[in-house]
This record gives sequence, C-alpha cells and structure tokens, in this order.
Amino acid sequence: MTEPFLQIRGLRKDYGIVNAVSDVNITVERGEFMTFLGPSGSGKSTTLYILAGFENPTAGDILLNGESLISTPSHKRNIGMVFQRYTLFPHLSVGENIAFPLKVRRWGKAAIDAKVQAMLRLVRLEGFEDRKPAQMSGGQQQRVALARALAYDPPVLLMDEPLSALDKKLREEIQHEIRRIHQETEVTILYVTHDQEEALRLSDRIAVFSKGVIDQIGTGPELYANPATRFVASFIGDSDFVTCEIVSARDGRADLSIGSGGAIAGVPVHGTAVDGGMAALMLRPERLSLSRISTGAGTTGLSARVNDITFLGSSIHVAASAPSGETLSVRLPFGHEAAAGLSRGDTVFIGFDPASAHVFCG
Amino acid sequence: MLLNFERLGAWKWILLVITGLTAAFLILPIVFIAALSFGSSQWLIFPPPSWTLQWYKAFLADPRWLEAAWTSFRIAAVVTVLSVLIGLVASFGLVRGRFIGKEALRALFLTPMILPVVVLAVALYAFFLRIGLNGTTTGFVIAHLVVALPFSILSMTNALEGFDKSIEDAAVLCGAHPLEAKIRVTLPAISHGLFSAAVFSFLTSWDEVVLAIFMASPTLQTLPVKIWTTLRQDLTPVIAAASTLLVIVTIALMLLAALVRKGLKS
Amino acid sequence: MATLTDPGGIAGTVKPRIVRQYNFAQTVPALALILLFFVLPVLALLLRSVLEPQPGFGNYAALLGSTTYLKIFLNTFVVSALVTAVSLAIGFPVAWALAIMPSRLSSVVFAILLLSMWTNLLTRTYAWMVLLQRTGVINKTLMGLGLIDQPLPLVNNLVGVTIGMTYIMLPFIILPLYGVIRRIDPAILQAAALCGATRFQALTRILIPLAAPGMVSGALMVFVMSLGYFVTPALLGGTANMMLAELIAQFVQSLVNWGMGGAAALILLVVTLTLYAVQLRLFGPARMGGH
Repeated sequence: MTEPFLQIRGLRKDYGIVNAVSDVNITVERGEFMTFLGPSGSGKSTTLYILAGFENPTAGDILLNGESLISTPSHKRNIGMVFQRYTLFPHLSVGENIAFPLKVRRWGKAAIDAKVQAMLRLVRLEGFEDRKPAQMSGGQQQRVALARALAYDPPVLLMDEPLSALDKKLREEIQHEIRRIHQETEVTILYVTHDQEEALRLSDRIAVFSKGVIDQIGTGPELYANPATRFVASFIGDSDFVTCEIVSARDGRADLSIGSGGAIAGVPVHGTAVDGGMAALMLRPERLSLSRISTGAGTTGLSARVNDITFLGSSIHVAASAPSGETLSVRLPFGHEAAAGLSRGDTVFIGFDPASAHVFCG
Repeated sequence: MLLNFERLGAWKWILLVITGLTAAFLILPIVFIAALSFGSSQWLIFPPPSWTLQWYKAFLADPRWLEAAWTSFRIAAVVTVLSVLIGLVASFGLVRGRFIGKEALRALFLTPMILPVVVLAVALYAFFLRIGLNGTTTGFVIAHLVVALPFSILSMTNALEGFDKSIEDAAVLCGAHPLEAKIRVTLPAISHGLFSAAVFSFLTSWDEVVLAIFMASPTLQTLPVKIWTTLRQDLTPVIAAASTLLVIVTIALMLLAALVRKGLKS
Repeated sequence: MATLTDPGGIAGTVKPRIVRQYNFAQTVPALALILLFFVLPVLALLLRSVLEPQPGFGNYAALLGSTTYLKIFLNTFVVSALVTAVSLAIGFPVAWALAIMPSRLSSVVFAILLLSMWTNLLTRTYAWMVLLQRTGVINKTLMGLGLIDQPLPLVNNLVGVTIGMTYIMLPFIILPLYGVIRRIDPAILQAAALCGATRFQALTRILIPLAAPGMVSGALMVFVMSLGYFVTPALLGGTANMMLAELIAQFVQSLVNWGMGGAAALILLVVTLTLYAVQLRLFGPARMGGH
C-alpha cells in the first residue's frame, strides 16, 4: 500500500481549558480537492492553521509524504496559502508580490521573471505586474494572492474562506477560476468554507466539521444520500426533522412511530438506538409526496395541515405542520397536480419512502 | 509571524528585554528623585545614609518657594479660565462656521504648539519690554495663554465635532433660544472636551519652563523658574522635594482627568 | 416674524433672529490673541534682525560667517540627529513589542510612558543631572562593579545631553510608531512566512518597509523638536556644546543684542518650518500634539 499523500492523525488543539479540535483524522490523496465544511467555531480553520504552522497542536501529527510537518517552522513547510483577508504586500507591485517567495528562495532573475509571467497567465491577469494592490479590486487581489501562493509549486495549497469577502456574482466567477486552476496545476487543495453550495461545487471530498470534531468525510453525493449525523443531514441539502419514537432497531434499520400516526418500518438508523427512546426522523423536502388522502396501505407517511404555499419559479414550496407541531416543507415541481387547488388549512398526507429517510439517535 | 507574539521564538525575548530596559530607563529617574527627596545626604548620595523629611520642611518653611508655588497656581488658574473661554468660542467658530480660510485659521491656532518655544519667549520678552508688561502677572498669563490655547482648541473642536448638531437644533425647535440651547444641551454633551481643555491648559501653564524664564522677574517667579535658577547654582535636595511635589500634582490631575472624562463620557 | 426655526413666529418676546451660520466672529478673540501676542511679536523680532544695529543683513553675515556660531549650528544639528537616531533605534523595537504584547504587559509599559511624559521637564532633567554626576549612582555602580576606576564624565558634555534628550523624546517616537505597527494586518506577515521568508527577511523586506512612514514621520518630529530645545541642553550640556536655543537666549538676556538674537531665531524658525513643510508634503496634515 502506498503512503497516503497527506495524513492528519489524531489532531487535537486546546486553548487552555477550551477545546477547539479533537480527534481529527483525515487522509488526502495527491491532487485532491478537499473541503473542510462547517459553521464558524467548528474547528475547520483551526485545523487549517495547524497545517500552515500558525498553531501548534496539543496532540497528533501531520504527515506529508510520510514525513512529519509538526516540528517544521512555517517558512520551511513549502505550503501555499490564500487567506480570507487580502494579504498582498501593500508596498510591492503585483509582480513583486508574486516574485517575493522566489526571491526568498534565491531564484535567478530570468527564472523569476518567467515564472511571474506564467503565474499571471494562469490567473488571467497578464499585464498587471506593475499595478499596486490598492489599485485592484477584491477579486483581482485574491487572484494575485493565488498566483503568489502557487508560484513556488507547493505540494499543498491551503485556502481559508478566500471568497467570503466578495459578492455573490464575483464569488461564482472565482470559484470557476479555482476549479480551472486546480485542473490545470493538479495541486492538492485544502479549502475551508461555511458555504455548503461552494463546497459541493468545488470539492472532490468534503469533511464536515461540527464542534471541533469531524462528523463525516465523503463526496457530496455520499454526504447527501447517507448522512452519518443529524448535523451533516441538516448542513448538506435541505432537511425536515420530525420527532419520533424508536419501536425497535436491528441491523442498521429501525421501526418507529410518530405521535398519533402509524408505524414506519425499515428506516436507516444512525447513532445508538434505544428501544422506546426518542429520535429525530430526517426527510428531504424534494423526496416527499403530497396527496389529499392516504393512498392506502403501502404508503408510509403522516398527515399534516398546510400552513403556507409559496411559488418559487421552478418549484412550489408547501409548509405544513405535523400533528406534533413541527414544521415540514415539501418541494413540488411547478405544475404538479398535488398542488392544484391546495390552500391554507387543508389537511394533506405527506408520503415518503422509509428506505431513503434517516433517523438519528442520541 | 512577526506580528504574532507567541510565534516569534527567540526574538520574543529580545523584544521583551529591550522593552523592559526601556521601561526601567524611563521610570527609574523619576522614582530616584522621589526617593532622594527623602534622603538625608546633601550631596544626593545614593543610597542615602538615612531618611528624613528635612528637605520638604525646608521647602515648606521657605517663603520664596511657597510664593513661587502660589504664583504658579494663580497664573495657571487664570490661564485655564481664559483658555477654556476663548477656546470654546473659537471652537464653535471653527467647527460650525463657514468662511474662507477656516482651515488656514485652524492651522494658525495650532502653530504655537509646534514652533520652538524659545522663539516665542524671546519675541514676547522684547515686545513686553516695549509695552511695559515684563515681569508682570498679566504678561505671564498672556504668554502661557498663547501656548495653552492650542490644546484647548484641539480638545474642544474634537468634542464639538463628535456632537450631533441636530440635538441642539431639536432644542431650538422645542422653543429654546439658540444660546440657551447651547448652554443647556450642547455644553453638557461636550463637557468631557471642556474638562480636557481645562486640565491641559492648567498643566501646560503649571509645568511651563522656557516662557516662564523670560517672563519672570526676581519678584515674580513660578515654581519651574525657581527650580531653574536654583539648579544653575547647585543641586540641593530641596529641588528634589519641590520636583516630587510638582510631579504629584501633575499625576493627581491627570488621573482625575482620566476618571472624570470616563465618567462624563458614559 | 417667521424665522428658520420658528416659522410660526411663536417665540414672540424673544427677539426674533434668523439662526445664522456661526461665522468668523466667534474666532475673533482667539485670533486677536494669536495675532497680537504671537505673530506680531515674532515678526517684530525678525524685523529687528535686519534693522539692528544697522539696516541690512549684517547679523546674518556675522552668524553664518563666524566659526564660533557655525560650530553651534553644527552642534545643534549633530545632537538632534544623534538623539533622533538613538530614539529611533530604541523606539522601533519597543513600539513593535507594545503592538503585539499581551495587554496586561503593555498597559504597564504605557502607564510608565505616560507617567514619564507628564513629569515635569525640569524634574526629568534634574534627575539626570544627579544620576550622571561624578559622584552619582551611575559612576558609583560602574566603579563598584569594577568596570572603571575613574568616574566617567557623563554630564556637561555630549553624552549627558544625548541621554537626557533621548529620555524625553522616546515617547514621541514610540507612541505614533506603535499606532502604525498596530494597523499592519498580521496576516500579511503570516503570508510572508508561508512564502518562505525567515524572520529576518520578513523584518527587512516587509515589516520595516510597512512601518517606514511612521518611522520617518516620528523621526522628523523628534528632530525638529530637538533643534529648538532649550532647557535640557542648557542644563546637561557644557559650554562646549551649546545649542541654538541657548544661543538665542544668551543674545537676548545676557548680551542684549536683539539683532543677533532675532537673526538666530529666524534661522531656527526657517529650518523648523521647512522641515514641517517636508513632513506635510510627505504625509499630509500630521496630527499635532498627540494627547
């Protein structure tokens, strides 16, 4: 078995008595685009900063090509990084910014000039070498930062929410650029963001962080179809949660009952299931069916009362209350027959396939 | 990493040592003088053979020292009042007025603060000789007023610029006369600026040396002048006592100012 | 009568007045004071420099032509430059440290800085006169440690003046420089580290260039202040290193030579104003008097 390219093992970081990350284990393949996804405070940036060498871990190790990085100071790690804030050197021109890491590595002048031009071409900013950062827009500055980070061909590129300071349209433009540059350079990228859409759009795999631990690592489809925790289910894709009671559980599937409704059998279960215990049933709004009456045995579901119907262009969004009082949203394609004549206060039956739902315990 | 204290490595200690030494360099002389003022050695030997209050007693017993202190105080008091009044009115003009040359005027008002005091001292000395104000309290007050006013104007224009005029306008709309609105609404709101102006004007006059040397006469001396003339002859510890007293007054006033300012601002 | 703020004319008994913009009148008392007791006397003095004892530039010729006076000018510049250089050399690391230290440490240093600034100038100079004298603490400690066997002449010379004036000027470099360094985004230095720069390279290629405007501005201010300084050089310096301010005072008080005194004052004034103009051109309106 070959050495994994980048390995994060058992990483832990405490600030005094406060724990920021614990038990983080990630293996990254060469050339992979891996995203650390999670809300603020989840530990994703801390992990990235330990990789960059700006923080020392309390425990654990980081291995690049089998060699430990922990005791190497930042300036010797040969890693590239793009920050959330524009960190171009304000007193140097664009060209001088990109040349800086090369000058520090004592490259010859001709080699530096050639590389600077190549980098400017890569980020599509040819001709900008004499501009000063202050004369450039945020998007352009981040592209220069990217060029500077890649100028010395680092094996790993770290990106800490680089686009959060930009407006939506610019963000999409640069996401596209990042994807293109990733394909052209085949550099391994570790990307931090709180935006699930950005993560899904850019990454090969996503590590979902929550409260300092990783809930799950997987591709977008894996995380969507088989979320391991309630948090992952709610963070990737839209989700509805209904409180339920576990009747029995076996072989990874559980039978549940919802309030006054009937029994639901065979739902994939995650966490430690306790017979008679409470759990959360997770449903995807776009996989729910809506009808006026229960279509007989064979359709699992629950009845609910319609609160609101919203037209959102390509879909119709129906908000309904379950008997327990919890809100469910159902997303129907525009023109769907079930939505015809529907109005507030109507009682409807919301159906779903138990096998594609999930229930989370604990 | 250079701006991250924890990650400087060995450099952290170098910076800490330099800063520590500098802090010691800055404070030791002052502490030293205060200590010496209680030492019994006439030649300021340190450590002193024994401790005593004789220099303070000498200071308080000497009518000339006490008179110098009183002169300092009454001149500073008059300067403070005038500086705050003239500065307050001028600040309104500078902040609210609209006339050509306003910025140039503002710069002109600040000039006494930045030009070498000795030039002003000599010029006023010559001028007062001509008009007979030399060695008079009036002359002294005028001289100190010229250098205290910039601080006063700075403090109050600052405070006034931070004040939202629409509050005052609202008071006028409620029926108050414009002057009344100013007194009852604006002045309380900028009171921290007024207080700063007063404190800085007082301290500027209280601590001022160069102008005082030129404005003084054998019968009219402020405390700094008396210290100066005594210093040119010998280094008696009575000066240490007088200096320590000067320092205590200044510190007390600045602490008071900081506390009051905090209280007024909230 | 309807007014801007009283359209209904309700404020009847109060003399109706249109609320006009505050105008020039408010600044008149201050203006009168400055013109009468600042501008006028200084101009008069400068006038005397070209009128006494005879109309013409004889005083200037005497000042700039004589070696004695030229030595004083030179000495003034040298001392000022020396004080500026030393203050900068010490002030930069201290300002840097203050900008990044934990606040419980930096507040102590700031308190000491401010205390030093508020302490009366004479007190501070007197302290050095005592410390640096032949029988003073410094000499006694050095002899006690066996480093020297004769007391060093530390006062009434260049050494004493430099120490005394650096003591006073340090806070004027440290405080503005601290402000400048604090405004530098630490992430820029982190980026420099990742680019491969060692601490030394990051210091010389990034931190110092970014702090340079603060350093130049502080240095200019200290240099200009030192040029015109009177009290400290007079007390801590010897007759061999008289500075310009003391020369002016001497012309006027001891020699009653208004022509020469005025001329020397004008030279000081011109140099000061030129340097301020340079500062203005380089940095825009600098903050005056940083309280």
